[in-house]
Amino acid sequence: MSNAALNIGQVRAGSVCIVTLAGRIDSTNANDVMAELTRLIGSGEKSILVDLGAVLYLTSAAFRALLVATDEAERQAARFALCNIAGHVRELFEMGGLLDAFAVHGSREEALKQFG
Amino acid sequence: MTRPPDLVYAVDERPPWGILIASAAQHIALMAVTLVFPIIIAREANLSGVQFLDLVSLSMLGLGVATVCFSLRSRYVGSGYLCGAAYTAIFLGPSLFAVRQGGLALVFGMTIVAGLVQLAVAPLLRRLRALLPSEIAGLVIAVVGLALAGLGVRYSLGIDAQHQRINPDYVIVAGISLAIMIVLNIWSKGYGRMFCVLIGMVAGYAASAVLGALDLTNVVPQQGLSLVRLPRLEHLNWSFDAVLVAPFAVAALAATLRAMGDVSNAQRLNDSDWVRPKFGSLAGGVAANGLAVVFCGLVGSCGLNTYSSSIGLSGATGVTSRSIGYAIGVGFVALAFVPAAAMVLAAMPLPVMGAALFFTAAFVFTSGLQMITARMLDARKNIVIGFSFAMAVVADVYHGALMGVPLVLQPIFGNSLVLGTFCAVVLNLIMRIGVRERVSIRLEPGGINREAAELFLAEHGARWAARRDVIRRATFGVVQVLEMLGDPPGGVEVEASFDEFNLDLRIRYRGTPLIIPERKPTPREVIASDDGETLLAGYLLRQSADRVHARASGDAAELTLHYDH
Repeated sequence: MSNAALNIGQVRAGSVCIVTLAGRIDSTNANDVMAELTRLIGSGEKSILVDLGAVLYLTSAAFRALLVATDEAERQAARFALCNIAGHVRELFEMGGLLDAFAVHGSREEALKQFG
Repeated sequence: MTRPPDLVYAVDERPPWGILIASAAQHIALMAVTLVFPIIIAREANLSGVQFLDLVSLSMLGLGVATVCFSLRSRYVGSGYLCGAAYTAIFLGPSLFAVRQGGLALVFGMTIVAGLVQLAVAPLLRRLRALLPSEIAGLVIAVVGLALAGLGVRYSLGIDAQHQRINPDYVIVAGISLAIMIVLNIWSKGYGRMFCVLIGMVAGYAASAVLGALDLTNVVPQQGLSLVRLPRLEHLNWSFDAVLVAPFAVAALAATLRAMGDVSNAQRLNDSDWVRPKFGSLAGGVAANGLAVVFCGLVGSCGLNTYSSSIGLSGATGVTSRSIGYAIGVGFVALAFVPAAAMVLAAMPLPVMGAALFFTAAFVFTSGLQMITARMLDARKNIVIGFSFAMAVVADVYHGALMGVPLVLQPIFGNSLVLGTFCAVVLNLIMRIGVRERVSIRLEPGGINREAAELFLAEHGARWAARRDVIRRATFGVVQVLEMLGDPPGGVEVEASFDEFNLDLRIRYRGTPLIIPERKPTPREVIASDDGETLLAGYLLRQSADRVHARASGDAAELTLHYDH
């Protein structure tokens, strides 16, 4: 596991706001992720895609942040999805039986197609 | 055992008759390449045409019986996997020496001794397993792959000791043969992929005939060949010499290691969850090897071994059915009585052999690398693997100089596989000195240093050559626990104990035992409060470890995470 800190980036593809997370997400920075995602939803974004392709590692705190964001998006009638979940991160999603709790896409392109 | 999705026929599946026969024919063609070793011994013994034919036929009989023995699934004999047999350079050195000292009788007698050594070693393998971890089995396979590739190139280019020049006709034949094998294996499906080697070899025979590289006149006796012929046993005689026990015993041990590597590889091909060799199957494979070598000595041939190329062929084609092993056995036994077939196989053009060896070597070599890199390697293991691999290469580069050692050591220094394996086993023993199997780290209060715990597990995991996936899960477990504990008064102690089969982590702290729920919390529960997150953390811990146990005594608490290794 790397000690890389968390980086939160943002790009736009049409009407979709893509949030890229890179590094490790645990209790020391999960609140930052939650705050950023809820801020975007609160600001009126209606399509948010979180790209986890560069996440090296996450813990329960990260899962909670993503679940809170999903819940917030539902309440604001926004579309919220995850993509590029691979390797060890995917193992953790599978281990926790959490893949069903989110809208998950294999790649960014696939997700953007779904978002239309 | 989990069936890999890309297998066409797994070990317990029986293909239709047509595929069974064609697959067996493909293995037979590949295994026949190794008849070159008894042929070398026959030439050294100056056998006449008929006697030469007898020895080739009986050697084919040996290959058939050996393959059936290797593939059997029984309690004491057989690996239970499709595993071809091969005459090998491992026994060539001692056998050539024996033929010069006492003729073929001494070769046959000492071959029986070598088989008995393997039979004696087979039941002891389980006790020796600490000496032969899977990274060393991987090294053995990788070295065999490299040796096969080297031999393949030599045959493909037509290079021999006297003529260090490339033969253009050989390059054309080998090129055609190899290109067909590659194209069919990569860009075709079904029959093309399954029989890529056989089709490539047949095309190589045809190209050889066109270019005049297929010469049957050297191997056909002057009086011609009958359609069916019972091999004669007139040349059979046995003698023994105490001086030769040591080199033959060393060769038998080397063949044992190769058999272990090959059977491990066959197991791995049939199980996506393979993590270490199953010793019951290895012992059965080695016992089968011993029995087959004794048989070869009794019927008048030389020592043989499992065939890495045959396993490589199974990997390349995705056909690993055990029943093909029995079909190969029947095929070779039948061919032993058909002199024309024996001669066609014995006269296989060198570039055809070369293409087949070079192609299958790629699959053997990469299998070995995968077995090595599945483990975490620290400086000690890097030295064991790196030095041993280098010594294997050195054995070929400086073969002449190394053969100057005393006779008893020649089977070790004269063969790349044996020297590489010998180094690996000895260095592994030496490098175990000072490796503690129970270690701990204390994380002081006032900001628990999770990164120190991660580093601790990474360093010791590499020292133990633990599986990467297990250490990754264990590291997640420790970090998740530390996250749940926060910053307990008195800090946290993490203790790790390891053996080849278990990794146990004990995390001690002052406080209440953690809650490890069996039920997955709902997303609503997780979102509702921090307690929900704690439930999810506990659930993740339960799922990531193979066993979890939390307990408390007074204000001291301990959480145990167990991982099967």
